Amino acid sequence: MGIYHLLWLIPALPLLGFLILAIFGLKMPNRAIGIIGCASIGLAALLTIIIGINFLTSPPTGNFYQQTLWTWFSVHGFSPAISFYLDPVSLIFTFVVTFVSFLIHWYSTEYMRGDEGYPRFFAYMNLFVFSMLTLVLANNLLLLYLGWEGVGLCSFLLIGFWYKEQENCYAARKAFIVTRFGDTAMIIGLFLLVKNFNTLNIQDILTKAPSLWQPGATTAFWAAILLLGGALGKSAQLPLQTWLPDAMAGPTPVSALIHAATMVTAGVYLIARMHVLYELAPVVQLIVAIIGAATLLIAGFSALAQRDIKRVLAYSTISQIGYMFLALGVGAWSAAIFHFMIHAFFKGLLFLAAGAVILAMEEEHDMFKMGGLRKKMPVVFWTFLFGSGALAAIPIITAGFYSKDQILFFALASTKGSFWLWLCGFVGAFLTAIYTFRMVFVTFFGEQKKEVHRKPTNSIKIPLIILGILSLIAGFIEIPKAWGNFAPFSSLMNKVMPQVQLAAGMENKEVLLEVITGIIALLGVYLAWQFCLKSPKVLYNFKTTGLGRFIDKFFFKGFMFDQLYDIILVRPVVWLSKIDKRDFVDRIYEAIGNLGLLLNKIFSRTQNGYLRWYVCGLVLGMAVALTIILFV
Amino acid sequence: MNALISTAVFGIFLMISGLFIKSKQAIRILAISGVVAAFVLNIIDFRQYGASATELFHGMLSVTNFGLLFIEIILGCVLVYFLLSGKDLANIGHYTGEYFALIFFILCGVVLAATYGNMLMLFLSIEIMSIPQYILAGSDKHNLKSHEASLKYFLMGAFSTGFLLMGIALLYGATGSFDITTMNLAGRPIDAMALAGIILIAFALAFKVSAAPFHFWTPDVYDGAPTVVTSFISTIVKVGGFVAFIRLFHIAFGSPDVDKHWLLVLSIITAATLIIGNVTAVFQQSVKRMLAYSSISQAGFMLFAVIAMNVLSWQGILLYAAAYSLATIGCFAILMKMKDYTYDGYNGLAQKQPLLALMNTIFLFSLVGIPATAGFLAKYFVLSAAVEKGGLLWLVILAVCCAAISAFYYFRLIWAMYFKAGDCQVEEHAITPAFKSVLALTALLVIILGVWPGLILAWI
Repeated sequence: MGIYHLLWLIPALPLLGFLILAIFGLKMPNRAIGIIGCASIGLAALLTIIIGINFLTSPPTGNFYQQTLWTWFSVHGFSPAISFYLDPVSLIFTFVVTFVSFLIHWYSTEYMRGDEGYPRFFAYMNLFVFSMLTLVLANNLLLLYLGWEGVGLCSFLLIGFWYKEQENCYAARKAFIVTRFGDTAMIIGLFLLVKNFNTLNIQDILTKAPSLWQPGATTAFWAAILLLGGALGKSAQLPLQTWLPDAMAGPTPVSALIHAATMVTAGVYLIARMHVLYELAPVVQLIVAIIGAATLLIAGFSALAQRDIKRVLAYSTISQIGYMFLALGVGAWSAAIFHFMIHAFFKGLLFLAAGAVILAMEEEHDMFKMGGLRKKMPVVFWTFLFGSGALAAIPIITAGFYSKDQILFFALASTKGSFWLWLCGFVGAFLTAIYTFRMVFVTFFGEQKKEVHRKPTNSIKIPLIILGILSLIAGFIEIPKAWGNFAPFSSLMNKVMPQVQLAAGMENKEVLLEVITGIIALLGVYLAWQFCLKSPKVLYNFKTTGLGRFIDKFFFKGFMFDQLYDIILVRPVVWLSKIDKRDFVDRIYEAIGNLGLLLNKIFSRTQNGYLRWYVCGLVLGMAVALTIILFV
Repeated sequence: MNALISTAVFGIFLMISGLFIKSKQAIRILAISGVVAAFVLNIIDFRQYGASATELFHGMLSVTNFGLLFIEIILGCVLVYFLLSGKDLANIGHYTGEYFALIFFILCGVVLAATYGNMLMLFLSIEIMSIPQYILAGSDKHNLKSHEASLKYFLMGAFSTGFLLMGIALLYGATGSFDITTMNLAGRPIDAMALAGIILIAFALAFKVSAAPFHFWTPDVYDGAPTVVTSFISTIVKVGGFVAFIRLFHIAFGSPDVDKHWLLVLSIITAATLIIGNVTAVFQQSVKRMLAYSSISQAGFMLFAVIAMNVLSWQGILLYAAAYSLATIGCFAILMKMKDYTYDGYNGLAQKQPLLALMNTIFLFSLVGIPATAGFLAKYFVLSAAVEKGGLLWLVILAVCCAAISAFYYFRLIWAMYFKAGDCQVEEHAITPAFKSVLALTALLVIILGVWPGLILAWI
């Protein structure tokens, strides 16, 4: 048990880093700030790896370790504990969060060099990692909610990191407000759970729920769907996806860490963690699958038309999380978490590489103004290529293939899956290949349009190389069943998660599906090459037609969701509040305010400084009270 | 009873020391070491007393671990007070030794309030707490307002002492006992004499904790007294009054067939205190006066612990004593460093003294009851206690609304510090690194108690 006692240090180290940087950051040299910022995360990552190895070689009894630090308070039998819970699911999340964060922090020491907000940046980042680790390690929904709001706060602070430009502030505000819709649903869900279970301890809820609720029970439905609301906001899924593309206003390492690798997958974590609730509410689980399928398609189409390299990646993030939701929806819990891990590697990599490109191009985001960087930045190019391969799920050699094809297989083969869900995922895979390699070809091939301004240094290259290697090889820990019996990842997950139920006669279709999806991915790459490099004229001509222009704009604006919300939500509210400036409800509040003023005046008048008056009040009060008590 | 002996002995010692020791610094250090000594000696006492009462001095004192824990909290708060504001206390006038001596005598009264087992001891404790306050309120001899405060406080206090004595006498007449545990009002019909006695005592104590409608003296006295004295009497002495209140009413008048008689009256007092305290605080211009009204409204919350009468309310009053005292002492310590006591005097403090502004914000958060500060849990406990008691839901709702009102006048100060441009004047030379670090530690304590109340509650 020895090493497990240090579990609390994993979130505590980043917190310590944050406190040091927040208090003394302004007076420290940048070098020291970088070292503290990275070391706190690095040590946490190291500790996670040591604990993880321990966990894998000699799993604790019951496959979990619980560490209760203290009980916050205990009132009416409701006693939320500050307690951490380590099982295979939270172990994987903790590992990815600490490890990827460490690489991104390292990268940031170079990326943020020369920025006046250097200490602020690392303080926020450390606070973020602390919050995220609290979220994934919490054994209690209240503590999880603390982490949940903490990451939301850090996301807000970091999107608006360059707050002197108003656009960034708007983007930060948008992210905060849009996710607030989801968070409000989530907190109502928590109230519902407290009301039914009188506890927020996750394990207690999960064990008690099946005996309290029948499958399909109404309360289970509400609890599951309210929590889903929170997950949709945080993970930028339909209909709350609009904030994520704008969130790219933050520094690129932030986009890599928060808006790609870790925070946006918190929704996936929440649903996976509370999986029992979703199995008791099959309708909600179906909704999860449908939302995932719809989101991945919409985001995939939107990514096709983007010009800003970071926005392509942002839409692809939404799309890939859509795949994870699809997996959750069909009950393939392990597949969702596997795709989360692989996605964290390759998407973190893609963002970091894009950041290196942006640095080299003097903050140029438009990839059509880049071009031909293959020769000038070979390391960035090759790692970006690996990441893109994984994103596009190029067969056999990339990790993304193993994780995504598993999801596609289960979308069809699970008892909860269907042909239509599979088809959405399949089309999505095709789109992914196209937009990913469109990005690769436009940015790194063709003629060079701009000089390289700042060459990547080692602190940028090494994280890229590590993530690049992982994007290639990390998939081998989960080989498709048809190829051989080597799946340590899912066997680890299935210790605590239910296994996916396959429909009859589906087992032997896996190879066929893999061949099809492999071909479609390669076909997508070919199309991207055809239309972006070989004969871009065709596409250009199409875009100048009326229909082409409309489609291009429609996709570019992300299916016009912003405009839609503007029309159905923002404008009516603004309009209503304008015409309803002095309405009845307002009068009530005004009356309360005036009453307060009046009372204030009366009370202040009693405070006139005359002793005889005070004594009079005292005696009067006494007389009244004695009358009440003796005669009433 | 080490705490009782050590505070009394140190009080006398300090009073005499003024004759021999001329250095204010030395007397201050002596006083601080006195509090530390009492703190440590009280810890040693802790092992000997359990949850059930131990009678001392023929039942004059009845000591429980709750009482000792309360004393420990009070001594801790006094230590913080001395460290933060000791210099200001020493500089009120020439008689440094006596100011500190009076504080120690008050502490002696608080110790009695936490441990009395007899009505006579209750009377003694209330008077030992009160009389030094009258002197301290008037200690700034060159200030007419200070004199006025002292005189007003004394006259009103004498009035309420009359109530207290009358109440005790009536109660003795009805029961034939001074002992709070054997008074035994339960189990037989209560006559008018006993009821009138209970009510008179309740009013006298309500006066001491400045509950409405007996609060009239509070703003004038708190405003007129030297700020450093206000800081003390609005925190330590007030919660000392509360411990006397809660112990008497829980132990002597707590059984269900007795409490039904006084519950309504105390509920009304609570409601009136909450409303008057909060509503009047809203439009104050002076921060010092605002804090005076805020102390009335916080008293309204602490009254919940008196009327709820269950385990939660005991825990609640302990937490409330610590949360309220620490935060208010912190706010006053910062106030004393300002040259202008109005809200506008705080404009732009965040730019000039970022640490002070931040700490002040934490203290104000705690006073409002923002989660993760001690003030939140304190409010949560006392209100939960009332909910558990039952039949008081209307009062709880009222209290929550009043807490919302209180956010207005507390946050106004944060607004002034952070969002208003201005050139606030602070006494730079008085803001030493030592002061800042004690302030930061106090704020840290407020937060630690907010996330880990077990630090206090684990002991009972």
